[in-house]
Amino acid sequence: MLTKIELLNHTFKSPILVASGTFGYGDEVAGLIDVNQLGGIITKSVTLEPREGNAPPRIAETSAGMLNSIGLANLGVEKYCHTKLPQLNKLETKVIINIAGFGIDDYVKTLQILENHDGNHAGYEINISCPNVKSGGMQFGVDAVMTESLTSEMRKHTNKLLILKLSPNVTKIEDIAMAAEAGGADMISAINTVVGMGINIHNRKPVLNTVFGGLSGPAIKPIALANVHKIYKAVSVPIIGIGGISTAEDVIEFIMAGADLVQVGTSNFKDPSIGLKITKGLEPLCKTLEVTNIHDLKGTLEYY
Amino acid sequence: MVNEVASVISNYEIASNYWQAILKAPEISRMAKPGQFINILPIKNWPKMMRRPMSIASNEHENISIIYKVVGEGTQYISDWKEGSKVDIIGPLGNTWPEFNDEYPILIGGGVGIAPILYLQDKFSSEGIKHHLIMGAKTGSEHFLEHSPDDGLLLTTDDGTIGIKGTVIRALEAIFHTPSDIRNYRICACGPSPMLNAIKQFASDYSIECFVALETMMACGFGICQGCSIEREQNSDAGSSYRKKYSLACIDGPVFQTNEIKNC
Repeated sequence: MLTKIELLNHTFKSPILVASGTFGYGDEVAGLIDVNQLGGIITKSVTLEPREGNAPPRIAETSAGMLNSIGLANLGVEKYCHTKLPQLNKLETKVIINIAGFGIDDYVKTLQILENHDGNHAGYEINISCPNVKSGGMQFGVDAVMTESLTSEMRKHTNKLLILKLSPNVTKIEDIAMAAEAGGADMISAINTVVGMGINIHNRKPVLNTVFGGLSGPAIKPIALANVHKIYKAVSVPIIGIGGISTAEDVIEFIMAGADLVQVGTSNFKDPSIGLKITKGLEPLCKTLEVTNIHDLKGTLEYY
Repeated sequence: MVNEVASVISNYEIASNYWQAILKAPEISRMAKPGQFINILPIKNWPKMMRRPMSIASNEHENISIIYKVVGEGTQYISDWKEGSKVDIIGPLGNTWPEFNDEYPILIGGGVGIAPILYLQDKFSSEGIKHHLIMGAKTGSEHFLEHSPDDGLLLTTDDGTIGIKGTVIRALEAIFHTPSDIRNYRICACGPSPMLNAIKQFASDYSIECFVALETMMACGFGICQGCSIEREQNSDAGSSYRKKYSLACIDGPVFQTNEIKNC
């Protein structure tokens, strides 16, 4: 298998996972695609308490992307455990639960509740990078010391994969990545959305209720790639590359830049089966690039 | 919900800048109910990230249709669809209009908002259920139906070129100011926000049940992106809740009872 990835005692059917917030809990798309063919699914951010999210408008279209400010709307961890976990357990792909919080206690309690339920999930992706909620974890995402404290605190409570999802909205993402690694993170996900805004010139209002939101989609791919490469140079833990991926070539770029796995996000909205289409495109590309496994391409970028 | 490759049966302008495309989509046709919508990829290599959600305007013999105005890049591409073109659509999406028992339907469509209203009207017509249909437009050239008050079909235009001069509210008033034994009216409407808010107010003033199909910015169309939030009227325990203060137009709607939402 050219695209099977063995990583940290886990077998991923392919390097293609679907990003948090762009694939729900896997059940919504049941009629459209076979989720089990994906490398994995990262579920929508779950918080300790249910959350309504932000006032509308929450999304807007941009050139080659979209702005969103959902505000971590979600059903809360208790309901997640009772209604979503049982069906996620039936999936034959890697399930990674994305957790968001507002303080270390918050994150840890959510993690503990999830750990106390029977879940087959492979691990957790910790969202310390939501740009759309006041103190939505962002105070961690921009501060290396707090990132390390949060990571090491969460590390005490789980043996499953602990993945820290980083924000590009920082001066030096390497510092945050190194802090996550020092705190005991198994992997780094990068990047979350890039802060952006848009204006409706006719009513002079911002296109999002919260004025600023998170930009995603192909528009941010070069930013994502640069950040992944910077992280790759700074840490030794595996990296999951995220940001504007919509083709098999994009995936290879991320892997050459240093990623082990990738997540497809916003493109799922346009085409819910994009992840599977990209997966199909990877095998011939691997043959063209003359590798026996796609993982052999990790970090093979050659400088001038 | 399925992702279906539909084939274009026809696509032409039915009134000034109002287009109707008929699509052969057997699977979606089999499942669809009035009020539901499809999410359309306007062209194969659509460069943007969002599909274009559109209400189903009719459904018969494996064929569904949409009614649209050319307002931007997406609808420009859609207007270029030719007979036999293959189109990637996801549907049917969303909820449906409420069940009618003995309520008397007043159906109101404004602009392209007429689409989900016509699908509902088809249902009433085929079941022989008496109803009123009001359609509003800016001017006569935008209308593709005949003003026919005796048959319960009332057209309005802002400039008075066809039918009743003024907004659809003038037509509603005409119905309510005509002596009648009917007591249990129920309004079903779709159109621009100002029109729907005016109808919401009218329904509240006259204590009539009123349902609207709402249009919002939307990405996925089936509850994943959470982008299409609608603020609800009842939000008493919104302190720690989910989808009580904000509903999602794609899965909780697009049809809402007006007394349940803050604004249309």
